Amino acid sequence: MPSLALNEETPPFMLSSSIVNIMKSAGLLAIAAVAFGQSANRAANDGSHVVLDTMAQELQRNFDALKKKADPAPYFLSYEITDQDTHTISATLGVLNGSDAGRSRYLDVTVRVGDPKLDNFRRVRGERVEFTGGAAVPIDDAVAPLRQDLWLETDRVYRASAERLIKIKTNQQVKAADRDASSDFSSEESYAHVEAPATIRFDQKRWTDSVRDLSRDFVKYPDLLSSDVQVSFQSDTRYFANTEGTKVQHGRDFSRVIITASAKAKDGMDVSDFESFEAADPKDLPSGDVIKAAVEKVGEHVEALTTAATAEPFVGPAILSGRASGVFFHEIFGHRIEGHRQKDESEGQTFTRSVGEKILPEFLSVTFDPTIKRIAGVDLNGWYEYDDEGQLGRPVKAVENGVLRNFLMSRSPIEGFDHSNGHGRRQPGLEVVSRQSNLIVTSTRTVSDQKLREMLIDEIKKQNKPYGLYFEDITSGVTTTQRSGLQAFKVVPVIVYRVYADGRPDELIRGADIVGTPLASFAKILATSDKQSVFNGYCGAESGSVPVSAVSPAILISEIEIEKKDASQDLLPLLPSPLLAGLQ
Amino acid sequence: MKFATALTAAALLVSGAAFALHAAQTDAVLDAMQAELKRSMTLTLNQLDKPYYLSYTVDDEHTWSASASFGGLISSNNSDYRVPRLRLRVGDYKFDNSNWTGSNAAGPRYNLRAFPVEDANPLVLRQYLWLATDSAFKGSLQSIARKRAALRNVTVSEELPDFAPTKPFVQIDDFRPIQFEAKVWEDRTRRISAVFNQFPNLRNADVAYSAVDSLHRFVSNEGTHVRVQESMGTVEIQAAAQSSDGMIVRDLAIFYTRDPAKMFPEEELTKAAHSVGEQVLKMAAAPLGDNYTGPILFEGQASPQLMAEILGRNLHISRKPVSAPGAATQSTSTELEGRRGVRIMPEFFDVTDDPTAPLFGHEVVDDEGVPDKPISLVEKGVLKDFLRTRQPVRGYDDSNGHARLSGNYGAEIPVPTNLIIKARETSPLSDLRKKLIDLIDQRGLPYGIIIRKMDFPSSASIDEARRIISAASAGGSSRPISIPLYVYRLYKDGHEELVRGERLKGVNARTLKDILAAGDDSITFNYLDNGAPFALLGFGSGAAEVSIVAPSVLIDDLEMSKVDDEMPKLPLVPAPLTLSQK
Repeated sequence: MPSLALNEETPPFMLSSSIVNIMKSAGLLAIAAVAFGQSANRAANDGSHVVLDTMAQELQRNFDALKKKADPAPYFLSYEITDQDTHTISATLGVLNGSDAGRSRYLDVTVRVGDPKLDNFRRVRGERVEFTGGAAVPIDDAVAPLRQDLWLETDRVYRASAERLIKIKTNQQVKAADRDASSDFSSEESYAHVEAPATIRFDQKRWTDSVRDLSRDFVKYPDLLSSDVQVSFQSDTRYFANTEGTKVQHGRDFSRVIITASAKAKDGMDVSDFESFEAADPKDLPSGDVIKAAVEKVGEHVEALTTAATAEPFVGPAILSGRASGVFFHEIFGHRIEGHRQKDESEGQTFTRSVGEKILPEFLSVTFDPTIKRIAGVDLNGWYEYDDEGQLGRPVKAVENGVLRNFLMSRSPIEGFDHSNGHGRRQPGLEVVSRQSNLIVTSTRTVSDQKLREMLIDEIKKQNKPYGLYFEDITSGVTTTQRSGLQAFKVVPVIVYRVYADGRPDELIRGADIVGTPLASFAKILATSDKQSVFNGYCGAESGSVPVSAVSPAILISEIEIEKKDASQDLLPLLPSPLLAGLQ
Repeated sequence: MKFATALTAAALLVSGAAFALHAAQTDAVLDAMQAELKRSMTLTLNQLDKPYYLSYTVDDEHTWSASASFGGLISSNNSDYRVPRLRLRVGDYKFDNSNWTGSNAAGPRYNLRAFPVEDANPLVLRQYLWLATDSAFKGSLQSIARKRAALRNVTVSEELPDFAPTKPFVQIDDFRPIQFEAKVWEDRTRRISAVFNQFPNLRNADVAYSAVDSLHRFVSNEGTHVRVQESMGTVEIQAAAQSSDGMIVRDLAIFYTRDPAKMFPEEELTKAAHSVGEQVLKMAAAPLGDNYTGPILFEGQASPQLMAEILGRNLHISRKPVSAPGAATQSTSTELEGRRGVRIMPEFFDVTDDPTAPLFGHEVVDDEGVPDKPISLVEKGVLKDFLRTRQPVRGYDDSNGHARLSGNYGAEIPVPTNLIIKARETSPLSDLRKKLIDLIDQRGLPYGIIIRKMDFPSSASIDEARRIISAASAGGSSRPISIPLYVYRLYKDGHEELVRGERLKGVNARTLKDILAAGDDSITFNYLDNGAPFALLGFGSGAAEVSIVAPSVLIDDLEMSKVDDEMPKLPLVPAPLTLSQK
């Protein structure tokens, strides 16, 4: 089950994470919010490429020796090394509660044995392919230890790959043929591209003072049970080489401020809100005043939520803000056009046979474009130059005027789509599958926000409903794409208002989850606003957590369904908060 | 002017006196812990049980670490964080929410973040403790209610109180932060690991150091207040190679110190790396061992390593928790339970645990705020006492200050501090070897066995550890012990031959009775006990510093079997280090 969320529960550099385990058992896909961006400083080239050159040499040496001695022999090898330099500082109520910095490099080895038509990566119903382990390699540019690691990992991955190929070939003889008879590996162009490693600096001292100050403002909201302000910066450099001659070194930087707070309503329900700011370069993050205002907004929202009315099950018209709509599209559409799902017999394959057919209202188009760095003044998290198979990232027009045109492709071909379009992605330590990049929804039926609201009120009256809903923000969502599960999705909004047709002010509610089934939901989109907004986050699926964005205008939907959130019945704390007066 | 000076002097005198009285720095964290603890003892909900015991522990940890392989740095980290922990008991000492399989009932989750690492606002520290305590209180109420309900359906064979009262203990030390040169150690780690470039046939080779400067704080409602500095440094040097038949052999040298500012001289570590590299390659080239039954001489560190496992880990009594009928519990009894007053070793042995000895296991106060005292465990071979915590066990209802690791069901696990094994009758090592040769001669054995190093703490992978455990249980052992690393055959003519791939079979606490003789040496072996089998590195929860002091021992009637696991094939591609360097 894929998902999207604001925050990575598990940072991408930690392997064998619980996220991965959960994915494996439940087949879940999810999204969460975050932002990355481009580095302007990677143009320089100092001529020394110790890591990339050592990789390329050892790649060829291992490939040559294995081709000569191994049975079955490999026909393709690739190495990818991901260098991550991370800094995180967090504070609560004016005091630091965490400060971390780390540097790591992880190696992913791919060995393909057999031939492109049938190799060790063949998808066998429901079975997850896992050869790489994401071995830690030296962070120094040192030749001897790197060669040793490359050699040992190649040996280990080769053995596992050869073993699986033999099993698959046996399996082939005892099972009915797959419906999709496409090959396991596509032939693609090779690329040579080298950028100097990142040079952006993170001002530790400045940000330490800053998060400490910003978090102090939450003291004004004594009903909050927890709150924090966190700043993080990550600089990635990826090195990739394969036996087809591709040699790529590229990178990106990302920084972000996340503000979160949570509390409990009297009936025990947990309520929370968040706000985030992203920029490639930390110096482009907003000023203290802007962040301060966001802290206050989060504090006020959460206090208001503790006393807000609880949601009742409801079916009726609603507006999803641009960010909420972005998450909505990521879950219900994006995950279902990931190429590999179209040939996995355990997948629901909602759109596999729908190419050329109308699946969305004709005023809507959806593009996935990793080449776009910035939209609406926000750096996009789903930006990258090359994917994790060394392929150039390219825009993919998935839906044009409501008609499905294309899938997101890695080098695993599917019927009618023989080539990659640069969407083969992974978290270090996991195998590549096709994943989303920057999802961008565009519309030709746009109206102003004011007009969209009027249309909502008209719709409420038309349907004779007591109220409609406005979803202002969403933290995360999940969807199931597998056949064995319900073909459904759920998104978790944090800020939802009832909008009344009779002119009463909007009413904040808590505890509403949007639920639905994908095909039914699309047909009900009536119009969009004329302003795009950006949700930056991390998407979790089989190949781990990858940075993505979802960009959309606000949408008006004639019918949406909400259910009551599963809530705790805990009592509030028995003693008063020490922060309340009188305890000094 | 003069007047002012006099005043200042008087003020200094007063503050000097005040310092002498408290002998400590101000500590906002300790103050916050005490204040919130006092307030939390008033927690009450309807007519339900009230808290009768509450303790807070907050440890400040400043850590530096790095690892390197073949001259290249793999990772380098430093971090500062605080680890809060609390124990809350409702009911009374006789009957509370612990010692029951449902002791861990969860209270409300308050989305608690990391504990603050700054002290500027003590109320924020208290905010954290407030929510954690509230959650623990509600969870404890659920636990005690379920425990009472379960006891309506089961009878308990023996009724013991749930918690032992103890006297208040106060020890407030000053904290003197360590100035640690992380950069120097990063370079040193890199240089030491480069030694392995001289051994091109190794598969893996790593050097890792870590240094921790820690301030331990403990307060309880019984009046115990503790603030002690606990610091430690570690260097691990390990390497592995593959034999021509595919077997992976490995070796590990670990250095421990309580004074990370000094750590170890680089020459000593470089020498150790050389020796690990050489030994691993010798082991890879050595012949496979064979099945063996007969006497074995544990020489050098192998003896205290063996004692750590078969004696150290059996010197306590486990308590079976109350459980719902039919529910499984995680509790295995130790091998020395019920043997108080019984001879467990030859008469010439005495064993004490001495936390006051200036060794690696030195400790002032345990995790439950009970001061450690030296205890006599074995006198003339007879078992006299056990390592105990505040969990009452059959025959004992008080602690002797050995709660050093977190256990299950609200209890702590007893671990030795400095376990000192002394023999009254000893022989020079040369005599032990002679004795070994005499024995094999009498029994018509072709050779005897000398073990010089055990794999404890173990650097085995989790897969290998599983194989060792399943091989041991197939051989009938409930508690597998670590595999021997340096195994030598001693032939009658006195020459030795290194062998590989041997495992000890059926070795346990009863083996102690089969000790034939002790050497006139006394070897100190230090390790961190994490509670995991073989003290497997990187596993278990927490860590307790332990020193074991023991002489070499000759033990009769031991069994060894050769490993018959599947071996991985040799790599098809030659090792890069064996190629002529370009």
